[in-house]
Amino acid sequence: MTGSVVELRSVDVHFASGPLWARRRVHAAREVSLGVAAGETLGLVGESGSGKTTTGKVCLGLIRPTTGDVVFDGHPFDYRRRARRGALAAVLQHPQWSLNPRLHVGTSVAEPLVIAGIGGREETRRQTGEMLERVGLQPVLAKRYPHELSGGQRQRVAIARALITHPKFVVFDEAVSALDVSVQAQILNLIRELQAEAGFAALFISHDLAAVRYVADRIVVMYAGEVVESATAETLYGRGRHPYTRGLQAASDLIEDEDARLADASEEIASEGCPLTPRCPIATDLCRTTHPALRPLGDTLVACHHPEGRAGQS
Amino acid sequence: MNALVAISDLVVDFRTRQGPVRALDGASLAVREGEKVGLVGESGSGKSTLAMALGRLLPPNAEWGSGELMVAGVSVRDLEGAALRRLRSHTLGYVFQDPIGTLDPTMRVARQLAAVMEAGAGAADVSSLLADVGLQDHHRIARSYPHELSGGMAQRVSIAMALAANPKLIVADEPTASLDASIRGQILDLLVSLCAAHGTALVLLSHDLRAIAHCCDRVAVMYGGRTVEVGATAEVFAEPVHPYTEALLRAAPGQERLGGRIEPIPGLPPILTGRAEGCAFEPRCRHRIDACALARPESSEIAARQVICHRAEERRPAAP
Ligand SMILES: Nc1ncnc2c1ncn2[C@@H]1O[C@H](COP(=O)(O)OP(=O)(O)O)[C@@H](O)[C@H]1O
Ligand SMILES: Nc1ncnc2c1ncn2[C@@H]1O[C@H](COP(=O)(O)OP(=O)(O)O)[C@@H](O)[C@H]1O
Ligand SMILES: [Mg+2]
Ligand SMILES: [Mg+2]
Repeated sequence: MTGSVVELRSVDVHFASGPLWARRRVHAAREVSLGVAAGETLGLVGESGSGKTTTGKVCLGLIRPTTGDVVFDGHPFDYRRRARRGALAAVLQHPQWSLNPRLHVGTSVAEPLVIAGIGGREETRRQTGEMLERVGLQPVLAKRYPHELSGGQRQRVAIARALITHPKFVVFDEAVSALDVSVQAQILNLIRELQAEAGFAALFISHDLAAVRYVADRIVVMYAGEVVESATAETLYGRGRHPYTRGLQAASDLIEDEDARLADASEEIASEGCPLTPRCPIATDLCRTTHPALRPLGDTLVACHHPEGRAGQS
Repeated sequence: MNALVAISDLVVDFRTRQGPVRALDGASLAVREGEKVGLVGESGSGKSTLAMALGRLLPPNAEWGSGELMVAGVSVRDLEGAALRRLRSHTLGYVFQDPIGTLDPTMRVARQLAAVMEAGAGAADVSSLLADVGLQDHHRIARSYPHELSGGMAQRVSIAMALAANPKLIVADEPTASLDASIRGQILDLLVSLCAAHGTALVLLSHDLRAIAHCCDRVAVMYGGRTVEVGATAEVFAEPVHPYTEALLRAAPGQERLGGRIEPIPGLPPILTGRAEGCAFEPRCRHRIDACALARPESSEIAARQVICHRAEERRPAAP
């Protein structure tokens, strides 16, 4: 993909997990390729354990892929910290984990500027005030501690901290999942506005399809560490092709289709063929034996042998 | 009617250094045996106060005002000694937001469970209870201390604790809010299916409307310490009568056109210091009329729901 700020090319990530005497290899990401352009929000959805957070961390350079390449701004990712200071940022589910409880929130917001060595003290103070205002917080709140703020205010602080260095790329990992409905709406709108204004590339990770649909231009769906579908938000919600996508949509009431429902996740992930086979409502013998490759179909990319539904079914 | 819980016009204040805070300003709710009821509303609307009042678990600075709260036919307010202990240990089970903090950090899981189970329960009963809550590795978990568990596992253990004495009602206060977003669905499904299997009623507090829609037969929408709309979940969410319910639903993504905007509710929820003389939602309401600030709206029955709004009658949903 040309013009991508961040690009993953066939990224695999393996983890070793379990006790020493029974080490298992977890394949958290398999052949993941994606790109995010400046000014674009890429949504990343999938159930628990599908590899979303791992993929986000690879994009941020926090995990090195076992195989595959990460390209940042057209160059191979430079893992020396210095080189990427201020250019990448993340906003996580629980802002209290990313804010130091003993620091005034103003200090936390300014910290990335100080670390990156950008600007003098006066300049830092001015930018911090501006940034707080930009995310809808009164500058007087700079002198408060995180526990003195509401959940929504803390998440605004976390966003201010992430954006203060004008990063080129921001990962939002379940950034609104812990918030009250009406606060969630405020933060989703804020993310959309800030992005339109600042033009950063964003990866918006969530298990909540409705929230992803709301902010993302394009959406990547992951299952068991693999990208199973990738399309524009419009196409994906107009007509998701992969049975997994449709299953997620049915489960979150975004489409009405009882036949699309997936079996429970407790089933084992198939080791051969398509990983969704045990849960898939339209799986065939082909699916049990042959792994489907991600391939173009109309304006989507989909990894399914039966993206039009099974023959004989509507 | 088998009313397991009957709350009418309940008032609870908290004494604080800045003066009294009114947390419940005339809340009313009925829960039948085996029924699943959702409580929704923004932070501060009074959900937790109502939940804690059920087991008379309010902190010492709480003051009960007027109103009635009956559980299984007895007035909770008047219970004492053994009867109160019985209510807490046998009639009710609680599941809270922070499971690790709820469990006793000094005791292994198995001992904590055995302590709340019927006398004579042995290791096999503990194991089968842990298996019921989906903990496959139950031998290891039984021997663990709470801090050795992940959040999701610990919440499964606290669900097992809440169910151990076979209560009539489980009160779950934001049981998934502190968990990783992607495992919330599993925990809620577990809670709902276990309650269904045991015929246990469930009161589920959550700010997640989708979760309530998915789990609960009926929903009570709370605002300013009152239950402003109570009815069948599907009907209330499809055609809200109270403007606050409507505003909450409008703020949740999912229904908007692609590229359209969702609307946060303007302003902030109130912190009441005493009885609201008008409608507490009035300053934020797009349907307000003069009467709303002046007169306190009373509950009316509209389309098989209880609604507290001056304009409830005009907003009656079209007959199906
Ligand atoms: N540090 C780690 N060590 C071992 N396994 C891990 C680690 N991080 C993630 N995993 C495993 O990798 C898979 C993908 O996890 P993750 O990327 O967190 O998924 P998601 O964010 O979609 O829930 C899961 O099976 C998870 O248990
Ligand atoms: N222990 C307490 N002391 C003083 N005020 C309290 C206490 N607990 C709750 N409140 C106040 O009571 C109101 C209702 O709170 P709560 O029942 O916790 O609402 P919810 O669970 O819906 O967020 C709020 O204004 C809150 O600040
Ligand atoms: Mg994750
Ligand atoms: Mg609460």
